[in-house]
Amino acid sequence: MRANGTSGERPPELPDREIWRRSQEIEAPIDEAEQLLDLAALADNRLDDDETQRLAALIARDTDAAGDVAAARLLADATIDDADPNVIARALLAGEDQLEAEVIAFPAGRVVVRPFYSAASWSGLAAAMVLAGWFGFSLGSGLPGVTPAGHAPDEAAANELFDPAPPLILRDFSESSQI
Amino acid sequence: MRVQQLNRDLGDRRRDQPDPLAALLVGDKRSWDHFVRRYAALIVAAVRGVAAASGDVEDLAQEVFVRLCKDDFRLLRTYDSTRASLSTWMTIVARSTARDALRRRRPDSVPIDAVPESHLKVDAVEPTPKLKLPEALLSPRQREILGMLYDKEMDVAEIAAALGIDPQTVRSAHHKAMLKLRAHFKSDS
Repeated sequence: MRANGTSGERPPELPDREIWRRSQEIEAPIDEAEQLLDLAALADNRLDDDETQRLAALIARDTDAAGDVAAARLLADATIDDADPNVIARALLAGEDQLEAEVIAFPAGRVVVRPFYSAASWSGLAAAMVLAGWFGFSLGSGLPGVTPAGHAPDEAAANELFDPAPPLILRDFSESSQI
Repeated sequence: MRVQQLNRDLGDRRRDQPDPLAALLVGDKRSWDHFVRRYAALIVAAVRGVAAASGDVEDLAQEVFVRLCKDDFRLLRTYDSTRASLSTWMTIVARSTARDALRRRRPDSVPIDAVPESHLKVDAVEPTPKLKLPEALLSPRQREILGMLYDKEMDVAEIAAALGIDPQTVRSAHHKAMLKLRAHFKSDS
């Protein structure tokens, strides 16, 4: 089945070769439910030759799985004692929990819209936004990057301390009126 | 109780018989009771082979029942009577569940000062290599044939001669293997 095979076979389609190549790069997914069924089928001898060989190769690497298959085969022919009543009682409860569980829906309550609460909440939101804006502005104006260019922050603070803003010029108009 | 009798009762039903698990899976409480009484002994026997101490058996059996009915009997719904008998499947499930439960249990703690230093040495553990897709899905023979076809560029006649099998067997193995790989990629996409 070579591309230009000598046996006259139809050349393999590219997807087959590509699928084989890709499959060798992919890690096998773990499907536990499928694996449990495979092992049970192997223990029951219900697999064809290929599947039996596949599973045999897998359980050769997994001693737990090999033990499970061997135990299942042993138990299949065994006579077993009745279970302890405690085991049965507990198991029955486990099922009851599942079978009797149901979704409890919360009763749909009426949504009452009160104008006062609505106005109060919107006002509160607006006030919070204004406060947050003012606070952010205050913080931002104290940042180093906001001071005038060429002045270090410390220098600006010192200027403000020793060279305060021009004082108010107070004039005594009464005196001039006397002249 | 003979296990073979369990298979006749529930696992290996005839075509004209109703599915005994069907009623359970739609929430019939009596079916669960019937199921538990039928399979409790088998589950206990299966778990006993895994449990380190006899005192663990009851708890581990309970773990199995809880797992079976968890999430609306999700695991029980995966059982396929065409592939295995119910009792065999239950044995495999019980042992696997019990082993997982034992692994989850926290070991008894001991103050570190009370442990001799030589006991604290940890042997290097090589990580277990994960299986590639062909190892998980294909038989050794199928992998060998695909490898000869596509990696070694051999044709069917050459492969048949090398393996000492009929060319038709080579074609059949190739076909089955490709069906499996294709099915995987199809379901994956």
